[in-house]
Amino acid sequence: MTTTEAHSTKRVKGGSFLIEDLQPQDIFTPEDLSQEQVQIAEMATAFAEEKILAQIQAIEAKDFEISKALMLELGELGLLGIDAPEEYGGLALDKVTSALVTEKLSVSGSFATTFSAHVTIGTLPLIWYGTKGQKDRYLSKLVTGDWIASYALSESSAGSDAMNIRTKARLSDDGKHYILNGEKMWITNAGFASLFTVFAKIDGEQFSAFLIERGTEGFSIGKEEHKLGIRGSSTCPLILNDCKVPVENLLGTAGKGHQIAFNILNVGRYKLAASAVRGSSTAFRDGVRYAKNRVGFGKPITEFGLVQKKIADTAAEIYAAESVVYRVVGAIDAALAELDSTSSTYYQQVQKCIEEFAAECSILKFACSEILDRAVDQMLQLHGGYGYVEEFPAERSYRDARINKIYEGTNEINRIITTGWLIKRGVKGELALMPAIQRVSEDVAQGGADMPVVHGTMNGEFAQLRSAKKIALFSLGLATAKFGTDLSEQQEVMGALAEVIAEVLLLDSTLLRTVKISGAKPMAETLARHFTSLSFARVKSAAERLLGAASEDDKLEGHATAMRRLTANAPINTVTTGRAIAAFMVEAGQYTL
Amino acid sequence: MRILAVIRQVPDAEESIKLKDGKVDLSSSKLVIDTMDEYGIEQALRLRDAVPGSEVVVLAVGPERCEQALRGALAMGADRAVLVVAEAFLDAIAVSDVVAQIARKEQADLILCGGQQADWDSQALGAATAERLAWPQVTWTNALTIEGGQLVGRHDIDAGTEEFTLALPAVITTQQGLNEPRYPTLPNIMKAKKKELRKDPISDYGVTPRLEVLGAEVQVRARRRTILDGKDARLAAAQLVDLLRKEARVI
Repeated sequence: MTTTEAHSTKRVKGGSFLIEDLQPQDIFTPEDLSQEQVQIAEMATAFAEEKILAQIQAIEAKDFEISKALMLELGELGLLGIDAPEEYGGLALDKVTSALVTEKLSVSGSFATTFSAHVTIGTLPLIWYGTKGQKDRYLSKLVTGDWIASYALSESSAGSDAMNIRTKARLSDDGKHYILNGEKMWITNAGFASLFTVFAKIDGEQFSAFLIERGTEGFSIGKEEHKLGIRGSSTCPLILNDCKVPVENLLGTAGKGHQIAFNILNVGRYKLAASAVRGSSTAFRDGVRYAKNRVGFGKPITEFGLVQKKIADTAAEIYAAESVVYRVVGAIDAALAELDSTSSTYYQQVQKCIEEFAAECSILKFACSEILDRAVDQMLQLHGGYGYVEEFPAERSYRDARINKIYEGTNEINRIITTGWLIKRGVKGELALMPAIQRVSEDVAQGGADMPVVHGTMNGEFAQLRSAKKIALFSLGLATAKFGTDLSEQQEVMGALAEVIAEVLLLDSTLLRTVKISGAKPMAETLARHFTSLSFARVKSAAERLLGAASEDDKLEGHATAMRRLTANAPINTVTTGRAIAAFMVEAGQYTL
Repeated sequence: MRILAVIRQVPDAEESIKLKDGKVDLSSSKLVIDTMDEYGIEQALRLRDAVPGSEVVVLAVGPERCEQALRGALAMGADRAVLVVAEAFLDAIAVSDVVAQIARKEQADLILCGGQQADWDSQALGAATAERLAWPQVTWTNALTIEGGQLVGRHDIDAGTEEFTLALPAVITTQQGLNEPRYPTLPNIMKAKKKELRKDPISDYGVTPRLEVLGAEVQVRARRRTILDGKDARLAAAQLVDLLRKEARVI
């Protein structure tokens, strides 16, 4: 892996954000981007505006020739090969650069889906698991965009429950082919892709992946789905009817396909979050510019408090989403930088390394897709009736956002993964979670002296962050004590835990970034303050649910007293912060710092 | 052939201008290569690729931060860059002095620069540079190729367009429509870091600006929010004409 520039992000363990306190200089922030990364971002931004948005009507009308031409142009610019090795025309750059490009290109949900399905779930399986022969045959074509890739896992009765797929493969009598039978559903890019990574069970048992070329005997594509959103992306079923796949097109090891399926998703998740940042800021720009010019009661509606609140809440959440995405992807890069890229097992190590951050990836996925959801909703509302008609982009953004809570693992599954993965790593001793829970439980029982405060004007916010961490650990302690190994069956509790844990990661990333940059970006502090208020309200709400469900009846009162101490905070004046943020953003006409 | 592409760094067109202490404050603005100059870079690259052995040198005269703009030009494909560091404001005539000195020193055959500056709106740089060098200049160029060592192109004049052939050396100023500037490719962005970027202090050139900026202000157009009662159309029309004549003074 080539890094565009060395930044001294600290190598931290996946999940450690919950139990350790980092210093501002330990985390990566968008302000740490190298000059090259900034240039790459500017190029991708210009491309997105001038090429993607400029053709949005045709893209939305499913003119796939436009999408294919755009992909070819992206190939020429080198943007399809960021994760690919140099011998196949790629650049093997760091993950921050790849997330950054995904973010900047994501001005249209439809095209962002086409792009991400190609470079991430479409191409990464081949990069990570392909043999030299397979890469020689396909990878260069995917890097140039001559061939578009597609990933086919879901079936009508197996979505989140992916291991339950029914598509079967059997070896032909002459041993030269696998014969596949089954049907895949909701396959992105299927309408024009040339190469498909298809999952099937050999003899109904061994979960495996296969590379299938379009036009292979017995392989056909069904009709385009009519979708709520991302209408300009292609989504079709695949029909495998005695489909003859050469044995050399088995990807990875027979029976080990689940590794491919799941490890790819971690990358898919942090990239989805990066994409959601751009989706949110694009909707924000559209909303603010509309509101700025919309006059009601004799003045621009941006002069009204409730309009300003929507603008401020959304801006604060975009700031947090941006903070958390780059903090996590930066941490992944810092971990990957320790690997030897010439090792023969390099890609296995890469996956292991990224998997260490599986909880963070899941948090990014559900938290940022929900921030996007709130952003498009608030921004549509600013348009009033015009938000509900196709004439303005708010309507499309609103529809396009919705899929993000479904694909790359539903937000429910990602909540379960977040809590489950952290507990699993704690139990295994890979993360010092259990001692931390122990410490906090004792601390809380004794009324807990607070740690010294260190971050000057942001002390109040850091105190809330510390409380949120304690609430997460305290609740984890209650839940594991009450339910033990049965906790994974208590989805409501798992979900509420994940929500508190997610807010901890968001707050931690946002506040540390703010201390790091507030000298140069005066608005950062106000945004962080405003976000802390929004975030801590969600922590409190989840804490209450957790307490009710996870506390033993005879201890509820004592626990409730302890929890009240943790959730007690002097409210800040969010009207003041909100108005300041709104004034700044309205003036800029977009999200900026 | 050595082509000198002169560029400037200006606020992005979407930025609003802020003032601080009576001066334009760009410290928090997004800064980009002037679009007109981008046409110049693109054309320089095309001419270079058409004539084997050619070189594109990109030049900026301005504050240290202009390095970023020069890196952008290198990422588009320019071969090397020169930054003459001048933190104080320099008017176009002063800049032309530096450009002319560098053109001589570098033995440039062709200078390309933007037809009009996006920030100060001046169109003087190309003309002033040509005057100092005693080279011919063609302004507002919208087509340019090289044939047998001669420039062949088309440009706008007051009465329409004019086709020209021109011997080198020459100064050409650009305008929209000349070409569509390329995006820097990712590999070129990575390579740009290793390309030569020379920095000279402005003091090396003995240039003193003739223009001094005394102050700056943003003109705010306040709305009158006057609504004419249209119940009596005749009266309203008369009032409107009166306002347009006496208040707006447009008729």
